[in-house]
Amino acid sequence: MVDNKASPVLQVKDLAVAYKIRGGEIEAVQDASFVIKRGEAYGIVGESGCGKSTVAWAVLNFLGANGYVKRGQIKFLGQELTQKSKSELRLLRGDQIAMVYQDPMQALNPSMRLGDQMKEVLTIHRGISDAEAEKRCAKMLERVYMPDPVNVMKRYPHQISGGQQQRVVIGMALLNNPALLIMDEPTTALDVTVEAAVLDLIAELRHEYDTAIMYITHNLGVVARVATRVGVMYAGEMVEQGTVEEIFKNPRHPYTQGLMRCVPKLGANKSESILYPIPGRVPPPGNRPAGCMFAPRCDYADNRCQEEHPALRALDNVNVRCHLAEEIDWRQWTPTEDVIAPPAVIAQAAADQPILEAKSLKTYYPVKGSSLKDVLGLGEKRFVKAVEDATFQIKRGKTLGVVGESGCGKSTLVKTIIGLEDSTGGDVKFLGFDITGNLSTRDEQVIKELQMVFQNPDSTMNPTYTVGQQIARPIRRFKTVPNDQVRAEVVNLLETMRLGANYFDRLPRQLSGGEKQRVGIARALASRPDLILCDEPVSALDVSVQAAVLNLLLEIQQKYDTTLVFIAHDLSVVRFFSDEIAVMYLGQIMEIGPAEAIYAPPYHPYTEALLSAVPVPDPTAKQKHIRLQGNVPSAINPPAGCRFHTRCPRRNLLPNGGKICQTEIPPWREPDDEHKIFCHLPTDTLTTFEPVISKEGNG
Amino acid sequence: MARFIARSILSTITTMLLVSMALFLLLEVGSGDITVKILGVFSTPEQRASYRAQLGLNAPAWQRYVDWLIGNDWRAAKRVGYPLVTATNPQTDEKDWWADVDGQLTRWKLEDGHLQALERQADGSTTSHLVSGKWQTNAAGQEFFWGLDNKNNAVKWVRGEGSEVWVLTKAGLRKAGDGPQEYIPLRKGLLRGDPGKSLQYGRPVAVTLFPRVRNTAILAGVAFLFIMPLALFFGIIAGINDGKPLDRFISITSLGATATPEFVSGIFLILIFGIWLKALPAVSIFLSDDAIFKDPKLIALPILTLTAVELGYIIRMTRASMVEVMDSAYIRTAILKGMPYWRVVLRHAVRNALMAPITVIMLHVNWLIGGVVVVEVIFGFPGLGKYIYDAAIFGDFNAVEAAAMLTVTIAIATRLVGDLAYTFLNPRIRYS
Amino acid sequence: MEAMQSGLKLAAPPSRLRRMWKNISIIFDSRVGTIGMIMVLFWIVTALVSLFWTPYPPNATDFIQNTPPNIQNLLGTDQLGRDILSRLMQGTQVILLKTRLPWGKAILPGGVAIWGVLGSVTLGAVLGLNAGYRGGWTDQIIMQFLDALIAFPVIVLYLVVIAALGQGDLVVIVAITITGAPGVARLVRSLTLDIKTRDYIRAAETRAETIWYIMFKEILPNARGPLLVDSMLRVGYAIFAIGTLGFLGIGLPPPDPDWGNMVNEARRSIFANPLAVVWPSLAIASLVIGLNLFADGLREELSRYQK
Repeated sequence: MVDNKASPVLQVKDLAVAYKIRGGEIEAVQDASFVIKRGEAYGIVGESGCGKSTVAWAVLNFLGANGYVKRGQIKFLGQELTQKSKSELRLLRGDQIAMVYQDPMQALNPSMRLGDQMKEVLTIHRGISDAEAEKRCAKMLERVYMPDPVNVMKRYPHQISGGQQQRVVIGMALLNNPALLIMDEPTTALDVTVEAAVLDLIAELRHEYDTAIMYITHNLGVVARVATRVGVMYAGEMVEQGTVEEIFKNPRHPYTQGLMRCVPKLGANKSESILYPIPGRVPPPGNRPAGCMFAPRCDYADNRCQEEHPALRALDNVNVRCHLAEEIDWRQWTPTEDVIAPPAVIAQAAADQPILEAKSLKTYYPVKGSSLKDVLGLGEKRFVKAVEDATFQIKRGKTLGVVGESGCGKSTLVKTIIGLEDSTGGDVKFLGFDITGNLSTRDEQVIKELQMVFQNPDSTMNPTYTVGQQIARPIRRFKTVPNDQVRAEVVNLLETMRLGANYFDRLPRQLSGGEKQRVGIARALASRPDLILCDEPVSALDVSVQAAVLNLLLEIQQKYDTTLVFIAHDLSVVRFFSDEIAVMYLGQIMEIGPAEAIYAPPYHPYTEALLSAVPVPDPTAKQKHIRLQGNVPSAINPPAGCRFHTRCPRRNLLPNGGKICQTEIPPWREPDDEHKIFCHLPTDTLTTFEPVISKEGNG
Repeated sequence: MARFIARSILSTITTMLLVSMALFLLLEVGSGDITVKILGVFSTPEQRASYRAQLGLNAPAWQRYVDWLIGNDWRAAKRVGYPLVTATNPQTDEKDWWADVDGQLTRWKLEDGHLQALERQADGSTTSHLVSGKWQTNAAGQEFFWGLDNKNNAVKWVRGEGSEVWVLTKAGLRKAGDGPQEYIPLRKGLLRGDPGKSLQYGRPVAVTLFPRVRNTAILAGVAFLFIMPLALFFGIIAGINDGKPLDRFISITSLGATATPEFVSGIFLILIFGIWLKALPAVSIFLSDDAIFKDPKLIALPILTLTAVELGYIIRMTRASMVEVMDSAYIRTAILKGMPYWRVVLRHAVRNALMAPITVIMLHVNWLIGGVVVVEVIFGFPGLGKYIYDAAIFGDFNAVEAAAMLTVTIAIATRLVGDLAYTFLNPRIRYS
Repeated sequence: MEAMQSGLKLAAPPSRLRRMWKNISIIFDSRVGTIGMIMVLFWIVTALVSLFWTPYPPNATDFIQNTPPNIQNLLGTDQLGRDILSRLMQGTQVILLKTRLPWGKAILPGGVAIWGVLGSVTLGAVLGLNAGYRGGWTDQIIMQFLDALIAFPVIVLYLVVIAALGQGDLVVIVAITITGAPGVARLVRSLTLDIKTRDYIRAAETRAETIWYIMFKEILPNARGPLLVDSMLRVGYAIFAIGTLGFLGIGLPPPDPDWGNMVNEARRSIFANPLAVVWPSLAIASLVIGLNLFADGLREELSRYQK
């Protein structure tokens, strides 16, 4: 087990970190122990509020004015870090220990040239000359596959894309060839195809530099892809740790098991599989149970779990913090009665009439130019072509999923349908009414039938008003029930959302993210709409909560026969949730059809690239390796012909290297009745693509 | 960048136009009957009306606004029929208006019904002789003549109607008969550098304003030179020690200084330095125009007073911005890159921290000007602020308008400078 | 579930008043804020007391001129032989408690500083909300207008307004309103620009709420924290400005004593009786500083609270 040539780089033992607050202190981390060896990537997973990041800050001893290491040891290459003075730590930081974190735009100094920011790492720590540093930085940028490194060094952060910024940050971290690289959610802010490329880069650099990596993430798929060993954290404690294969194959701790059960597998759908949320929520520091931290949410918990705090102990090849680890067989698990009954297969809607029909829908935004001419209004008018020629329909009671990366126009599409934006051209009919205009042109009856659920739980509710007031507003506004019954109706809706009448008088700040999202759904339901547009309703939620919200959405769809448009960037969630799926790229629908058809060949080359980029929470799965080159082009001047041609990895399958893609708009290929692909490649060729994901052994 | 500059300039022009209109309107509504102040409360309504006409105040407001802005010599020239030019009066060194009659600079005078032409000689003196044949007759049968009088007015004289005017002389009001019926007090207009005559002093505003502006420029300039480095220094020091005793001390002291009105801190300073210690003069009386250069002590207390108020404000702004920047993710990056602390502060934080306060500081020039007014009144300092104050109290709207437009121009110009500095410091704007 | 509900029933929902008190009481967490509040309360109490009692009639010239503090006149007398303490107390009324209307002896409750700030907050909020929420041309025009107002040096604007409208309580209120409104409008606009990106505003828009409902019911209530802090600071500025105007001799008209004017008058006999200058100066400074400290503490606590 212990590899001789791999010596430990970081040893953390019984770590506890506390923050002083008014009238006491809170322990954000209570008990974390782990070892990272040279050349190893150690993943730390867990939901928000579990203390993952605090562990990282503790290693660097960067805990702010009020934080400190309360107990335990942190040994780095044999030296105790908690005892080090400020100046000793400074010499280590950036030299021996480097860090990369979530938002690269925030992490780079906006008013300093990238080159200067990189060079100082070398000139300060290594004392080498500026010219020499410049050379090394350029080399490093080349190493992280940055196009035109010399030029990039002269630029400012806002002049390069997010993915490129993260490459700069990673390159900067590696300049001094550190022994330990700490990465805190380094790809969370990035799009899935960019994320895939950055993850590839991290794996490659780890092998090349033999660096020890501490990788913090909430995403099980990412962990499965980058880590060799995994530690699962819950409520400030390490609850399980082992090799990535072991953890994913045979999770021992009920929390780890719960996490695995609440994310949909790529390719799973709602009629065959069920998501099981973990009930309750992570206890906040300062209000943690005396016994096992997980006991209040655990299906197996007994008296001992309530009273006695379990220690992290070795069991077979893993360490686990659970009294009952031996007895639990996760394959035998059955949901307890609290869990929502799995919705039956969606009944076929009586009429197959489409409720919403869009033909060649276009939405353009005018852009303000920056030249003198534009200011005076003499310049040529230019537009962001956010949605181009979108044609689709949705049948009553069905769900249309829309996927695509940021900037692909999916949000604009939804805003146009709901009437927050004017459409520029095309034809949209909803229940037979024309809704090409914005809200001010629409009839009250139409407005009431179209509602929306939003992404960010923190901004979906007005902080000023109580839950009850906010749900009651649409009811009064559209007079869905007589005034004296409003309260009863609100309570009814709250109960549908499994929130209970006692939430009526609560203010948003007293709710958790998942609860706010449920209130948001209740508010959308309040006017009894026929169509609800969901704009990434679960992407800001922790996975266990995400499952609960998805289940609720399924339930209300059943109960009220509501039609849904569901936007998300997570392909597994969209696949799970939708009946039909549209894949968008740069304002254009590239492929549309029944969900199962989208996720199996024939694919559009872009769909294929997306699927191969998704991090799959299964370290044994074999995924085809397709990476897109370059950046998404500007929507002001989208590429002529096929908009995807500048990055298409399949173009060369066409004669002449795909010249036709540059000049001509592709035709709609129809491998199936309902399945359409917007591509020059003939259906026969598309059909020859292999599936992106194949599992070893028992699929 | 081009867009930004073009916008700034466009907006500046619009702002100035708006301000000039607003200012004109306000004074129009409010300044009451200025002739009462000039002629005294015992003047008769008839005398006042006559004098108003001589000031051109009976013209409609929009007409006077246009005159004030771009002058009225072009309008008057059409009536007179000759081009109007200015020439320096050797006695007063001020410019006089003349009609250019075929190369001869001429003005006119009506004496006992006879029109006399006053012709300017090369040495500046005038000769006069009777002229005839100038009178024109209009539809109503009036005989009239448009010319220039010797008080820089374009005048319409009407013969034979016996209309009388009241002329203000050094000895008081005097009645002059058979005279002028319409006046256009000639001016080049603000845009051409002539804001008109001061009603209080009777001299061109531009002439009286200049030394005042110079004195104030010295006062504010020296104060600014004191304030900026000190304020930025203390602001940064407080910002990087957020929450520590040093920060508390600097913050509370600067709060105290800002919240104390200038006239309070000014008087305390007078009490301490002027009365108890007798170290500095308590008032800034100028015995000569250039006293400020001969005795720099004269402006010590005014400068200290200005500094006390402004210093606190800018320290607070800088501190707030510094605290915010020091809390940002890129400063965290710099620290975690192992950069020495002072390098983090100076190279990474300061530049970003100065961006926000610079625009605010430049906006604050308005307050500084306000402070200048109060300080100059306290110390009797002959500067722009006291000039505005005196003019406003008297109702000398020509002077108020000119001085106020000047302060507005200064305020807008500094704001523009602030915007440009911001652009320069912030690459996000510079490179877009 | 049932147990939970009944448990909640027992704890009656907090009344509005209680909630308000809870919101206010956060100020006690800040030492600076508490000190500021005490200073402000001191002057409010003084003003209330002066309504019913002052040591002597504030305008009676009953005493020897320019006496230093003594048992009879705790703060001494001024250059006309009036009791300074009485004048100082009475002087709080026009600032904080009453506005004298120009019609007869009519009096409006609420001082000149209070009404001036209310005026600028109302005007500024309306302008800022419209500029921020509507955007486009409305924004351009409103901001251009405000830029022009801001370009006026405040004192010059006061001088011009007062030169135009003459002295009087209402005129000072108008002057404070005009000079304060642009700052409030900028603040409200920037808050609006932030708040209008929130999803709950999208939700209101998808319900096709009227623009006024969105501005005043959805946006404005969420701007009240920073607006409250700003108003507090503005009351300080207003008192500062009233003092300055009084000092320049163009402030609140007699017969009520005006602190700024007291300084101005006492200044002439500064050599004979320096303390006569000091008292009203201290009064103005302490009230303004108190309001600033209070606002600072409030801001600090609100931002902590929101975290």
